[in-house]
Amino acid sequence: MRRCLENRWFLLLLRVVLGGLFLYAGITKIGNPQAFADSIATFKILPAHFISIIALGLPPLEVLLGFMLIVGWKARTASLGITALAIVFGVILGQAIARGLSVDCGCFGSGEPSAVKTWLSLGRAGLLFLAGAWLYFSKTLKSFESAK
Amino acid sequence: MRIRDNFLPRPPPRSTKRAVKFSIRQLLTAQGAIFKADLMFLFLAASVSLVTGILINQLRDTPLPLVYKDKAERLQDSVQRIASKEAPPAPAPAVHLPEKLSLDEFSSYVENKRGLILDARPEIFHRLGHVPGALSLPRDDFEKGYAALKDKLEADRSQPIAIYCSGASCEDSRLLKKSLATLGYTNLALFEGGWGAWTGAKKPEESAQ
Repeated sequence: MRRCLENRWFLLLLRVVLGGLFLYAGITKIGNPQAFADSIATFKILPAHFISIIALGLPPLEVLLGFMLIVGWKARTASLGITALAIVFGVILGQAIARGLSVDCGCFGSGEPSAVKTWLSLGRAGLLFLAGAWLYFSKTLKSFESAK
Repeated sequence: MRIRDNFLPRPPPRSTKRAVKFSIRQLLTAQGAIFKADLMFLFLAASVSLVTGILINQLRDTPLPLVYKDKAERLQDSVQRIASKEAPPAPAPAVHLPEKLSLDEFSSYVENKRGLILDARPEIFHRLGHVPGALSLPRDDFEKGYAALKDKLEADRSQPIAIYCSGASCEDSRLLKKSLATLGYTNLALFEGGWGAWTGAKKPEESAQ
């Protein structure tokens, strides 16, 4: 199992899928910051001053991390960033579910607020966390970076 | 060669046990240093992204204001701008519509063409399909939509107007009703079921002319 997960083709696949996901998510959000800001507002945790900052700053970061992961430039650092973002997403979605808020995830552009989708998004955040953490701790990427 | 290695690094050679002779503390400090460097880099990346995002925003036709305004506040601003150049409110209407219309009431309203029907959803959804006879007055582009419908609307501020959006969970129709009331419209009704209930009941649809 472990050998299979350390396979360099598997790691490449994981990076491309994870990176592609972030690239796509970032690009759709750059296209419509107002919709993303409205989605963030449905979570009711940030004051108005921070909502715009996140709505403008997060999508380019997602694009950057996705790009780094795909091309392999500082891929391990990027995977740490993605792991951290996945934790943040998970906590935010979790608190929304716990408070019974009707939220619109806004993960890939905006949609209707829905409880089922919030649970699905939470599950997806969990998968992102696992994939990101695995990439960060994988020996192959690690050994490559320390050899440089 | 280096690029290829970057893109698809090889796994490390199998190490023999004797070669690995770290103390745990050594390992932790080495890992800690790498971790710190990673965090520093990520902090830098986040800052660069933020600056890039703000710059891109400034180049937009309608940049996102740096202090967020929610849907209701944005609509309120548009209403204020329209109201400042508007006529006084209309006299009280003869027949009042109920505040809310059920599906049956709404469909008889539509069939008998008893008044205006407004679609509060974004314009693109109206183009894809709407209740027969409904006019588009999107909540997210109120000023433009209102200007386009000005003649029809302002002919009589006490005419019956029914408003809907995508479904029970959308707030667009409620916000629109409030704004129109502020502008002096007196005979407004909400169809809360919205587009979801309408298509769910297999009622006739109409799409862009």
